[in-house]
Amino acid sequence: MASVSANFLCSRTSVRLPNQMMMSKKSLRLATVGWGRTPGLTTSRFQITTCAAKKETVDKVCEIVRKQLALPADKEITPQTTFTDLGADSLDTVEIVMGLEEEFDITVQEDNQDNISCIQEAADLIEQLVANKS
Amino acid sequence: MALKLSITPMKMPNFPGFQLSSHRVSMSSTIHSPSVDAGKVKKPFGPREVRVQVTHPLPPEKREIFNSLQDWAEENILVLLKPVEKCWQPNDFLPDPSSEGFEEEVRELRKRTKDLPDDYFVVLVGDMITEEALPTYQTMLNTLDGVRDETGASLTPWAIWTRAWTAEENRHGDLLNKYLYLSGRVDMRQIEKTIQYLIGSGMDPGTDKNPYLGFIYTSFQERATFVSHGNTARLAKEHGDLKLAQICGIIAADEKRHETAYTKIVEKLFEVDPDGTVLALADMMRKKISMPAHLMCDGADDNLFEHFSSVAQRLGVYTAKDYADILEFLVARWEVEKMTGLSGEGRKAQDYVCGLPPRIRKLEERAQARAKKSAPVPFSWIHGREVML
Repeated sequence: MASVSANFLCSRTSVRLPNQMMMSKKSLRLATVGWGRTPGLTTSRFQITTCAAKKETVDKVCEIVRKQLALPADKEITPQTTFTDLGADSLDTVEIVMGLEEEFDITVQEDNQDNISCIQEAADLIEQLVANKS
Repeated sequence: MALKLSITPMKMPNFPGFQLSSHRVSMSSTIHSPSVDAGKVKKPFGPREVRVQVTHPLPPEKREIFNSLQDWAEENILVLLKPVEKCWQPNDFLPDPSSEGFEEEVRELRKRTKDLPDDYFVVLVGDMITEEALPTYQTMLNTLDGVRDETGASLTPWAIWTRAWTAEENRHGDLLNKYLYLSGRVDMRQIEKTIQYLIGSGMDPGTDKNPYLGFIYTSFQERATFVSHGNTARLAKEHGDLKLAQICGIIAADEKRHETAYTKIVEKLFEVDPDGTVLALADMMRKKISMPAHLMCDGADDNLFEHFSSVAQRLGVYTAKDYADILEFLVARWEVEKMTGLSGEGRKAQDYVCGLPPRIRKLEERAQARAKKSAPVPFSWIHGREVML
């Protein structure tokens, strides 16, 4: 499983698209095979981020984060803003993920959840999961 | 950033961070927040707590509160201790070695315990190990400013309470230890090893030498032990071991009395310093109530605590729902919702604490909905036999 994913990533990185948006810095992360904490029937999970997400996805994420953390309207959020920057604790982060799942009708696996620490990463993962659905 | 909800029964009057693990909401006391990382570094004397040891000394005027409450404590808290002459002792519930019928009684005990399922034993053993780590809890109480036993025989009501509380608790581990020993159903050597590791590891619940935090923690913990021993009693009865049910029940009754004492102290603190106490409550809940035995190690299973917690959750002995229920109970007991005249920070803390139980419940529902079946796991405590998580 792992080697297939690694190959997939390698082949992707060799593609040149002049108009492609800058890849998020995490996009070259190797596929991870997630083990559940207990030996069991857990499936492997990929963490592959490709192109940066659409602006409207990023905006939607910002909106959900603002609501969850009850941020003042003038508080600036950029795609690189991390949840911890905004004062989110671990409970907030899980609830943000729950909010994103509801909004986009996706399911975020536990291991992927661990990898979301900023707005951009959340948006990228969402688009990935939405694309996988169709 | 998974939340790890640690829910195993607390010995010290103890709950984990939340982890929406794929199999359960398993409670482990390590909350994955940046400042707290229980790195289970393997050491010869047991895993080490790697919590950032922040120390905020209690300001002198707060320490003074505990001095001024000494008379109150003597009249209201020490009375909740039972005089030793009136206390039950482990021997009351075990075959009496100096009696003629000893061997027959042991045979009967083993007949009763023969039919108790392995998963029940795993949870009972975990509880017993937690109880046996009592030195850690007495130590923890003696880290607290303003109430610590300065000499080991100090005569302040606080010190008298701590020693007498320890003495009462000591019987719990002794009783469960002897019962499990006689049953023949468990690997005593592995259990004993686990206890040695656990006492060696100690624990840091984040109480930061602060008696406000300390007594909030113990209030929570005592209620949690009351709930979990109550559940093991119920299960013992269902499985036909009425003696064990009685044993777990009598221990649960002690825990209830201790819960009464600690919640009374915190109630008094709310009366005397409402703002300080509500801030302390929010602080403890943000840190999450960590399980005293979260560093448990048996030299065989790297995820022992998590596995144990999962079984406890599955059997309904101590669950994420219990964590939420206990918090809700305490919020109601201390009438946190009704408090007025708080500072801005105090009101934020009040909102946080009052709003927390439903959030936890929602998380728990989500985790349960996603719970995947996992393969059974061996436990060295039962000679490597396997149990479903």
